[in-house]
Amino acid sequence: MTDSVYDVIIVGAGPAGLAAALYSSRDRFKTLVLEKFTPGGQIATTNRIENYPGIIQIDGPGLIEQMHKQVQSFGAEIKSGCEASKLEKLPDRNIAVYCDEDKFAARTVILAPGSSYRKLGIPGEEDFRGAGVSYCGTCDAPFFTGKHVVTVGGGNTALQETLHLTKYARKVTLIHRRDQFRATKVLVEELKRKAGEPNSSLIIKYSTVATAIKGRGEVQSVGLKDVKTGREQDYPCDGLFVFVGMEPNTSFLKGFLELTEKGFVRCDCAYLRTTVPGVFVAGDCRIGAAMQLATAVGDGVVAAMMLKEYLREPSWWNEPVSDMLAPGQW
Amino acid sequence: MAEGKPINVSDATFESEVLESDTPVLVDFWAQWCGPCRMAGPVIEKIARDYAGKLKVCKLNVDDARRTATERGIMSVPTLHLYKAGRLVGQITGVTPNFESDIKKKVEPHLQQAGIGSE
Repeated sequence: MTDSVYDVIIVGAGPAGLAAALYSSRDRFKTLVLEKFTPGGQIATTNRIENYPGIIQIDGPGLIEQMHKQVQSFGAEIKSGCEASKLEKLPDRNIAVYCDEDKFAARTVILAPGSSYRKLGIPGEEDFRGAGVSYCGTCDAPFFTGKHVVTVGGGNTALQETLHLTKYARKVTLIHRRDQFRATKVLVEELKRKAGEPNSSLIIKYSTVATAIKGRGEVQSVGLKDVKTGREQDYPCDGLFVFVGMEPNTSFLKGFLELTEKGFVRCDCAYLRTTVPGVFVAGDCRIGAAMQLATAVGDGVVAAMMLKEYLREPSWWNEPVSDMLAPGQW
Repeated sequence: MAEGKPINVSDATFESEVLESDTPVLVDFWAQWCGPCRMAGPVIEKIARDYAGKLKVCKLNVDDARRTATERGIMSVPTLHLYKAGRLVGQITGVTPNFESDIKKKVEPHLQQAGIGSE
């Protein structure tokens, strides 16, 4: 139990949480950031960021290090290794956040718990985790030097990680369930160029899904199915990398506020107000999230600015979205 | 044994520090270039503190100790191995969503079996 009440508790120290903490601490709000690991979130696992405006290229850990330092310089308190397990509305309208045996109270909360890798949910996936099945190309690519890997997905991460893997593996087969990619054009072009090189190590299989992972001790093959013809085959490979999107880390919020069926936090998407007054949401875990570094940062900033409106006048929570903030309020 | 702190092990020391240890040993196979490994670091240090005297915690850099990493079949980092009397008795691959409690769940039964109560 702590006796001091924070102005804002931010759950999660990824880009959204750190951006929120930057604004709130710079506004001299007493800010506490709770992070279950160490600051970073998903972006810390990325080795090449080239779509963050103003920064031509940087690696995830490098960017986070800067954000972390910046936030600390304005006095925000960051607790690492502190996983929020429960939230509770207190009788005095404050909100309690529990982690382990600790309980913290604040006038407002910004939820920025982010998201985690989605799994394929096919036979063998759990059994071969760490024995050929991976969700992080930048982590595990070197273990597949000179080997043949299959990658799954069609978004930005899938394409970026597939290209990264071609630097290590002898052969990379990318399978995608549709006949075109969702990823940004520049990556699709780079991928197709790579696959079109003479004797390319990269093969693209469209309209194909993985049905099972097989092997003895380690991955030896993956079952593939052509969704158009229905034809199935056992495809020999040494590893399978899964890049099929993200799932929100919101299980600890069940019963406290409204989530969608898939676990995303419901909010108004303009002021980022959830169904519980005083509790904002930012980043990957909210409905309509673009799941980008820049949008997560934008969310964090919006939430941190809007909490001032709520603190000034709690009934603001139920007001409709207005034209713009009144002068002097930004 | 450095109480409450992870010990760095190499190809040369893996056998004596890990396989021949009297207490159970948790080994964190990690790499410099692995983002999740950096995220896992503070949790591993906390585990070392929480179980000081009951569990030895070691860190093995897979680039520096490539032979051991290959022998132990490491194909993903971070991977945690739990050894007891030289035998692999538990494993966690990747940073799981409830990492700290997942590690504790793996570790605790083996500490109790050794006649040492958990916290």
